[in-house]
Amino acid sequence: MIELNGLTKRFGAVTAVDDLSLTVQPGRVTGFLGPNGAGKTTTMRLILGLDIPTSGAALVGGRRYRQLVRPLRQVGSLLDATAVHGARTAHDHLLSVAVSNGIRRSRIPEVLELTGLGSVAGKRIREFSLGMKQRLGIAAALLGEPPVLMFDEPVNGLDADGVRWIRRLLRHLAADGRTVLVSSHLMGEMALTADHLIVIGRGRLLADVPTQSLTGSSARADVLVRSPRASELADLLTARGAAVTAEDDGGMAVTGVDAAAIADLAAAHGIAVHELAPRQPSLEQAYLDLTAASADYRSAGTAAQAEAGS
Amino acid sequence: MTAVAGRAPGPAGPSLAARACDALAFEWVKLRSVRSNQVTLLVAAIATIGSTAVVARAVASAPAPPPGGTFTALTVSFLGYAEYAVIPVSVLAVLQFTSEYTTGLIRTTFAAVPRRWAVLAGKAAVTGGAALVAGEALAFGCFFLTQAMLSGRHGGVSLAQPGVPGAVLAGGLVLCACALTGLGLGAIVRHTPGAIAATLGVIYGLGALCLVLPAPWKDGVGRLTMPFAASQVVALHPQPGLFSPAASLLVIAAWPAAVLLAAGLAVTRRDA
Repeated sequence: MIELNGLTKRFGAVTAVDDLSLTVQPGRVTGFLGPNGAGKTTTMRLILGLDIPTSGAALVGGRRYRQLVRPLRQVGSLLDATAVHGARTAHDHLLSVAVSNGIRRSRIPEVLELTGLGSVAGKRIREFSLGMKQRLGIAAALLGEPPVLMFDEPVNGLDADGVRWIRRLLRHLAADGRTVLVSSHLMGEMALTADHLIVIGRGRLLADVPTQSLTGSSARADVLVRSPRASELADLLTARGAAVTAEDDGGMAVTGVDAAAIADLAAAHGIAVHELAPRQPSLEQAYLDLTAASADYRSAGTAAQAEAGS
Repeated sequence: MTAVAGRAPGPAGPSLAARACDALAFEWVKLRSVRSNQVTLLVAAIATIGSTAVVARAVASAPAPPPGGTFTALTVSFLGYAEYAVIPVSVLAVLQFTSEYTTGLIRTTFAAVPRRWAVLAGKAAVTGGAALVAGEALAFGCFFLTQAMLSGRHGGVSLAQPGVPGAVLAGGLVLCACALTGLGLGAIVRHTPGAIAATLGVIYGLGALCLVLPAPWKDGVGRLTMPFAASQVVALHPQPGLFSPAASLLVIAAWPAAVLLAAGLAVTRRDA
């Protein structure tokens, strides 16, 4: 379990993480979302004790990371897959990590096999593709069989097979009862992988909700209707209390009544319907709605700075 | 929640000694698993022995013994060593930190061993230990090679003479001190070129500056620098006006001690 209590980090005048309080629970995959510069990576660095918080605390299993003894047996993490020494072999890299935390050496071939790197264990890391480096970073995170795992953008550089592999791995780790925190800017990926979402913007918590509820709760759910007698149908729907908005391509977005009611109404009046499609907002849309305020502020601020500078 | 989530280390956990061994093993594996480290050491050793042989041959074939007697006979052993061993080993030591900072590997290191004093101590022990072994091997190697070439010509010195074993041992220690200075400056500066410049500045530059100072200042300030102190500890007949060989050895130890202390304060206070 990861707990953040009023976690705050300022770099000079910039507040990267702003009074963040939340709990990441074990047994599920928690997606960590936010626009670029929202503070995701900084938050993870604070959890790992790499950066020192301005105020507040990040606890892993009830303790600050820097107080953990042999921490890699408690927390496995991958922040930056390219942060490796290219001259070392994959095996030697993992060996150094293993001995640093008294992890048995027989664990090295296990994680190499698990990440599909068994055949390149003796190769130097500089020959690896980004995808292979991601797998190596994940192998290093899994070495200590930690109950808490944290990955920053782990699907970067992976091909389609790799993405599917990591999705299964994350779910498997969570099913084991581990705490799994994964940051991503790929909403679609998180919709498929994460059970729970934490969304931050400008370092502040925007949402801490089950993945389902973020898509389900949005007011943007509507029904797309196309009909050759669209204006007639629109009048009937409006009379029923529905809200109708014309779309650019000639369709209508209808809210307030469900698809069945629209179909019944059209049938009762003998109006042909060419398309009738209930639309759930995508996770991406829900996310954009949530982060719109912080993103707007950010671009407005940049514009103001640009003007002041010119 | 399963057994995984509930797993916790034993109440006592591994002992301090076990964790110290972890930090040492970590740095040792990292040092030996980069082949260029070994190649650099090997090339440095060959260059040191080679340059020492060239210097010794030049002295031996001179028509008359150089002035200074045994002082020169011993010092000649270290002319090649002072550059061809000291520079590559110091640069190698600088890289122990700067290569991790430039690749980002330092974050893996600090995540694995969050007590940063332990990381610094582990690196100092491994790098300093390797430099000490290399330094003593090269110091004695250069000494025996030089004296073998000088003996029978202008009369070399032997290990049996008082003061000689200590001087040669101290010569090896100088390499360890230079390496630890480079290691610490690497941690403070973090960028390779800047850290190398700072290290060479401390090891050679400050001494060279003192050479151009007016008379009372030259020795008065110069004796606090590494080159002046190093020439004293390997000299059989120390120069008056400088510190004694024993005090000079303290000066040589004080530089890496101060740099490592500053490095420890820097790495524990800064974000990684």
